[in-house]
This record gives sequence, structure tokens and C-alpha cells, in this order.
Amino acid sequence: MARYLLTRLGQALVIVILVTLITFVILHFLPGGAARAILGKEATLEQIAAFNHDMGYDRPLWEQYALYLQRLVRGDLGYSFQLNQSVAEAITQRLPKTMVLSLASTALAVVIAIPLGVVQAVRRNKWPDYTINALSLLAYATPIFFLGLMMIILFAQVWPLLPPEAPQGFTLGEVLADPAGLVLPTVTLAVLTVAVYSRYVRSSMVDNLNENYVRTARSKGLSEGRVIVGHTLRNGLFPVITLLGMYLPALFSGALVVERLFNYPGMGLLFWQSALKRDYPILLGVTLLISVATVLGALVADVLYAAVDPRVRLKASRS
Amino acid sequence: MSLLRLVDLSTDIALRRGAVHALDHVNLEVRQGETLGVVGESGSGKTMTVLSVMGLLPPGGRVVNGQILFDGRDLLAMAPDELRRVRGVEMGMVFQDPLTSLNPTMRIGAQVAEPLRVHQGVSKAEARERAVEILRRVGMPRPDKIVDDYPHQLSGGMRQRAVIAMALIRSPRLLIADEPTTALDVTTQRQILELIDDLRDEFKMAVILVTHDLGVIASRADRVAVMYAGRVVETATTEELFRAPRHRYTEALMHALPEAAQGREGRLYSIPGLPPDLSQPLTGCRFAPRCRHATDACRATDVPLVRAAEDHLYACLHPVTEAVTFAPRGAGEARPAAASEPILSVRELVKEYDAGGKGRVSAVAGVSFEVKAGETLGIVGESGCGKSTVGRLVAGLEEPTGGQIVLDGTDIGALDRRARRRMHREVQLMFQDSYAAMNPRMRVDGILTEPLEIQQVGDPAGRRSRVTRLLDQVGLPTRALERYPHEFSGGQLQRIGLARSLALEPRLIVADEPVSALDVSIQAQVLNLMRDLQSELGLSYVFISHDLSVVDYMADRIAVMYLGKLVEIGPASQVVRAARHPYTQALIDAVPSPDPGHAPSPATAIRGELPSALNPPTGCRFRTRCPLAQDICRTEPPLEGGLHQVACHFPLREEAAAARP
Repeated sequence: MARYLLTRLGQALVIVILVTLITFVILHFLPGGAARAILGKEATLEQIAAFNHDMGYDRPLWEQYALYLQRLVRGDLGYSFQLNQSVAEAITQRLPKTMVLSLASTALAVVIAIPLGVVQAVRRNKWPDYTINALSLLAYATPIFFLGLMMIILFAQVWPLLPPEAPQGFTLGEVLADPAGLVLPTVTLAVLTVAVYSRYVRSSMVDNLNENYVRTARSKGLSEGRVIVGHTLRNGLFPVITLLGMYLPALFSGALVVERLFNYPGMGLLFWQSALKRDYPILLGVTLLISVATVLGALVADVLYAAVDPRVRLKASRS
Repeated sequence: MSLLRLVDLSTDIALRRGAVHALDHVNLEVRQGETLGVVGESGSGKTMTVLSVMGLLPPGGRVVNGQILFDGRDLLAMAPDELRRVRGVEMGMVFQDPLTSLNPTMRIGAQVAEPLRVHQGVSKAEARERAVEILRRVGMPRPDKIVDDYPHQLSGGMRQRAVIAMALIRSPRLLIADEPTTALDVTTQRQILELIDDLRDEFKMAVILVTHDLGVIASRADRVAVMYAGRVVETATTEELFRAPRHRYTEALMHALPEAAQGREGRLYSIPGLPPDLSQPLTGCRFAPRCRHATDACRATDVPLVRAAEDHLYACLHPVTEAVTFAPRGAGEARPAAASEPILSVRELVKEYDAGGKGRVSAVAGVSFEVKAGETLGIVGESGCGKSTVGRLVAGLEEPTGGQIVLDGTDIGALDRRARRRMHREVQLMFQDSYAAMNPRMRVDGILTEPLEIQQVGDPAGRRSRVTRLLDQVGLPTRALERYPHEFSGGQLQRIGLARSLALEPRLIVADEPVSALDVSIQAQVLNLMRDLQSELGLSYVFISHDLSVVDYMADRIAVMYLGKLVEIGPASQVVRAARHPYTQALIDAVPSPDPGHAPSPATAIRGELPSALNPPTGCRFRTRCPLAQDICRTEPPLEGGLHQVACHFPLREEAAAARP
């Protein structure tokens, strides 16, 4: 198991480095440039050249990248002149807020999606299945910004039940002190996830309900509820575990839109604003973080899988 | 007194339009302490009958008529909760495929004891104790350890024991076993069937044994019901049924067995056509369209069951009057040995697989044999003995770790890649599951043309006429060319598979379990066809099968493999009727004979399971299970003899004089 983990971590490292390289190259071929963005329209060419020289932006790309990696190893993600703070600091301030949003919406989605998927599988090709299927297709096809806007219009304006804006607190504690403000962004982000998860749960449960072991369970005279909850559900949820790991980073792209929409000061909003301002160090830092989250998510999913599925557990301990 | 009685039971399976009438007025009874065998081909309704009793019908399935009387009470009139209790406590069921009938993520003990926990509210600790106890009773090795294992850690035979334990823990009064040993090796099959017999006596249970295998029925059942197309066509005591069958279908089933072939040159009787489509309205005897004795009366009138003797009913207007005879063992005579050059010669073939740091799996360990032109070599052995690996190596699908494969005088290992690819023409494969071995999105013409295109044989027009001729050779109409694999039945698919392997005019066909998935009557059709093509085209076969009676019928010579080693090889009649290796004898004795008078000798029975091919036993690999093993068996016995060779320090008998060169 230890060897397996080490191999996987090694692979993860390679992937992360590749991602930083690609991001680095793309950012540096974008038009404009950091100097113009920071020094403003009035800056002379000499000033820009001097800035680029100071920052090392006039050196060959590979040298810049080497320097970047060198700093990265020391834990230095760079410095944002526009925010006037280090990238690490900017991220650590906002990351918890995005995590609260992502985790809350994932938890909500899982809690809703699993029963939906199970109901669909058990009532397969009957009206509950068709209805849920139609709704989840609709949710699937709705752009998240449109959904968020509709949420604001409906639940903050037509029926003013909830605030239209997310909590604006600076610290995590302040944010959590205003749970009502979190409801709309969390629900908006969860709707798409429910659609994805319930479809997985449905198809996996349908497959499992057709398995011979389910027939064996029925032959013991078990009630239908016990057959489904006691025997089928556990086997049927395995794909969801993989999905959880793979999907967590994907939530970030949703968070990008939702945070902008609800003006929630998390990573998504930070990324959005930095992209408009060409704040390269921040963009690089956030991309790095997401790529790390992606590979770790996949790794965690595999380890979780091994923890719950005895068949995989055995293989993992062998290799 | 009867424990279970089915009265006019009819079951439908709903389709999108209409329904399949899977059971049509089935009447059966099972008495306490007896074993009722239910036999028939796929689609005969034998499984639907027991699923109706257990309430486990597939989606859309529904009992539409009749009664299921269990101990005098009609199950169909019971409240759902009560019904579940009766089925969960008083009945137990064992399924066909032990590999998939256990929950993969639940410990064996929890699954086995679940009925107790649910129906009797037994505590967790006591349930575990009872599970260990019942696992021990069904002959599970180390039950106190197994109880906490997961299914994937167990072999097929052990899993089937676990399923049986699960059925027995409730001390049921009725045990239903649906093809309980079809997925298992003969040696394991014998152990499982004996176990069910013992337990029946011990628990005073009634047993319903559903199987397609007449041999299993003959050796285990007290009474037999023969089903065809959703109806019971004949019931009798086992002895009476095999001595004097009355229904023409029963007779045809018996005639189609390889054991019934008269002499080695005899053709098998095969039942023409296919069973009827049960979603259509049917009149008359349902077997009439395939029956050689059918008259207009058979087709026009419904044929009722009539009484032939006290316990013998049949539904046939032209019943059998003469007795069916099985070729007594030892009656076959050897075909004159083909004296030609070997087409295939395998020398010291070795195949090992890397087992990820834990050593190497020795799949094939120094196997040598020859196949002459026009000859059939049968390879038999339990699953995991390496017989299929040998086939794949010979066909060039895998590279050997060591040894030589000489094909038509050319050492394949010495050829470069291009030349080797050309050599592939000479050897073709035929698979067990032809459907899985065909691209479902390709039409039959594409499937048959592809080998010709790959090997660049002929022009498009030439290929087309070749393909048409191939279909003709395997007895399929030309219009089959435009159809897709899923439109064909199992027997037809095997014909197409055979046509594909014939496309390149090979000299050798490696057939890996080519008839194992087929019903007896269809099996006979395919075996006959393979034999006809052999004499017509001068083909050689390597015929790999776990089924000794089929190999005995097909092969000129038989090679017996055990755990990667060749333990015996010789003329078929010699190997089967005068086996020299204790393992061969055990295999032969484990095959249930369709002759009820034939009792297997318990002395030769082998117990336990095939050892792991990872670090196999040293010396003779069979010694860990051999009743005759001595210290000397730690050294490897050489394969010795004339035509009939054996690798054993204590061969059971000397080579017969006829076999000496």
C-alpha cells in the first residue's frame, strides 16, 4: 500500500509540474503584459522596460520558469503588486471560503442525489424515473449563471426570503455567521451536481439490481427495503466515490461563476478579478492549487475506493 | 406425502408487446426426502418453474394460473410478509453461478447467517457461531477463518459451498438447486452433488435438482420430470425413465448424448431445428416440428399426459417402445492411427506469467505433443490446468516463455514477424462463446471476409464467392450473410465461428470448449459438422474441453493436463477406458453417467481443490491430492510409454498390448 501511494504521489508531482509549465507559457504569450497593467496607461516605454528588467520579465522564458520553480520549491508562490500582498497570503485568505461553498454544495448534492438515483433505479422506466430524468436533464442543460440569476430574482426579489448577496465577511468566522447568505450560492452550485450524481447512482443501481447476488438476497426472504439498502446500495455507490474525487476540482469552475454572481470573496472571485487585471502571479498560483487539488482528488478517490471495496483492497495490498 | 405440489401452473413473462408463455399448465410434485430432477434444454421452462416457486421471477414475470401448494397451503394466496417468511425459512435455493451469486462486499458469515438474523432475530454473535457451524457441515476448510472472508477470496467450489450453507442454515424443508454444478469442474461437481445428497438425508429435505445434464439426473434424482417448451412432457422414476423412456423428446435427448453414439465412427443423433417461440400461440404437441415420428394428429390435437405405469406419465401419441442403449464403456474401438507426418509438434512448451513481485505463475510447464494431419487431439483437465493457454500458444496469440512450436515442419519461434503472420493461416481458433468473439456491429459477410482481407487472399469477387461457399459448408443459408450476430442462436453462432476459422483454409483448428455453452441437441449438430468437415477437408483439430464424454467422442488421442503438466497422453479409447494416471481415473469417475446402473467408485474420488499455479508442488504436481502418493513422488516422474504415455511413479495399469508400438 505504501509503495502504491508513493508511486501515485510521484505521478501526481509530474502532472502538477507539467500544468505549471503549460500555464506559464500560455500566460506569457498573452497580449498586454503585467507592466502595463500595473504602471497604468501613462507609463513610458522606459518605465515599462525598467519594470520588466526588475521583475526579470526580459529574460528568456525558460530562465523565468526555472526561477519560478526555484521559488516554488522554497514555498514562495510570488508577489502580487496589484493586491500588494503575497500570492500565498491572498490564496489562504480566500481558499477556506471557497471550500465552505464547495463542500456544502457537494454534501447537499450527495444527500439529494443518492435517494433520487435509488428511486429512479427501483422505479425504472416508470413515471418517477421519467420525471426525475427530465428534471435532471433540464438542470444539466441550464447554464449556471442563468440558474444563479433566476435564483436571485425568485428568492431575493419576487419572494424576498434570502439575501441576494453572499456574506461579505473577511474571515471564515464572519462568513459562517451569516448562513442565510450562503444558501443561494450553495443551492445554485448544488443543482448541477445533483443532476450529475443522480444519473450515476441510477445507472449503477440499475446494474447492481440485475446482479445475481440480489436474487440470492431475495431468495432469503428479505424485504425489498433490506435488499436495496442492505445489499445493493453499498455496491451501487462505488462509482459515486470516484466521482466525488474527480468532481471536487470541477466545482471550482462552478464556483468561479457563482462567486462572481453572488459577489462572494473566495478563490473564484479572486481568479476572475486577477484575470481581468492580468495579475500573473495570482493566476499561476490558483492554477497550481487547482491542479494539485485535481490529482489529489483522484488519489483520495482511489484510496477511499480501496477502503470500501474489499476486492480493490486486496489488490492494493498486493501491489 | 407431497411437500410441494404445482397444480396447473402457468407463468408469463411480459414483453413490450404480448408475452412469453414460459410455463403452460405445469403439474409436478415433490415428496419429503426425495430428489426430483427437472431436466430440459434452455427455454424449456425448468428454471422458470423453480423461480415461480421461490417468487424470484424476472421483471415482467407473473404467475397467471394455477396453484403452488407448499405443505397444503397455496403460496399464491398468502400475504406478502407471510410468503417471504415461508420462502426465507422453509425453502432454500442454490444458484447456477457461484461467482456472481454472493454479494461481493459482504463477509461470507454475514451473508450465510442473514436469514437467521432477519427471520429469527438471532444475535450477531450467535449468528456468526451458527454460520461457522454450517460452513463446517458443508465441508468448508477452515470455516472459522472463511466466515470473515469476502467472496472473491474463495474459489468457485468454495463459493458454491457457501451458497449451499446459506440455503441450509434455515434448516429448510425444500432445497432448490438450479444447475448447481454447471459452472464447476467435474471433480468439484462430484463433491457438491454428494454433499447435497448427504444433507438431504441428514435434514430430511425434499430437493429439486434442475439441470440440463442427463448424467447428473441419472446419478442423483429419485424421480425425473422432463420439460419441453414450457410443459412437462414426461415424469417417471429415474430408473424407469432411463430404462424405458416413452416420450420421443426424452428419447431424442438421450440419443444426442455422445455416450449414445454407436462406435467411434457413429454420428450423433441431433434434433433438427429449434424449440418453438413461446410468445406465439401453439397447437398440438410442441415437439412435433422437430420429431421424426410426428404425424398430422400430433400437430393438430393437444396431447395430454397419460399414465404408463404407477409413477410414469408421458404426453406422446407415438411413444417409444424400444429401450435406449448407451454404448457400454469399453465398447469403442480405436480408429486406425493416421500414419502421416505431424502437422503440429510441440516440444517442452513453457508459459509463465509474472505475478507482480510474488514470483511466477507456471501456467504451462514443459508440455510436448504432436498432432498428425487429419487427427483430433483432445486436451482435458480442470479449469486452471493450462489447456486453454496451450491452445492460445499454438494459435500464436501468446508468446511461449520457452520451448518450440513446430508447425508443418517450420519452427514458429525462428520466424520473423511477417512470416509468422503468414503461418497464422495454417492455425485458426474456434471459441466457446462465438457471440462474444464477434464484433456485434459487423454483418456476417464482414466477419467472414475479414480474415481473407487481412491475409490479402483473392480479389473482392473471389472473397465473396469463398464466403458463400463457407456458409454452405457449415450448413447456413446465404441470406445469413446480411445479418448481424445477435440474430442467430447459439448453435448457429458456433457454425459461423467455425466458418470463420475455415476461411483461410487452415490445416489445424484449435477449438477451445466449442460446444460447452450449447444444449445437448445443438451440441450434437455442431460435433457432427466438425467431424464432417474434418473428413472432407483433411483438417486436424486440437479439441480443448472439460467434458470427457465429448472429447472421448471427438478425439483420436487424448492428452490429460494437470496444473500445467501433461500427465497422460494416448489413444482416446485407451485413456478413457484404461486410464493409467490416478488423476485421469479420478476425472473419469467424476463424470456422472447417464446410465443409472453405473455407480461411481468412491475409492478414486479426489478431494479438495487445484493448488495454486504460483509456486506449484514440486515433483509430481498431483501428489498433494493423489491417494497413491509416496515419498518418491517428490521427484518428477517422466512421461513414459509407447503410444499410451503416463507421467506417474505408480501407474494404475500397464500399457495395453494393443497400444504398444
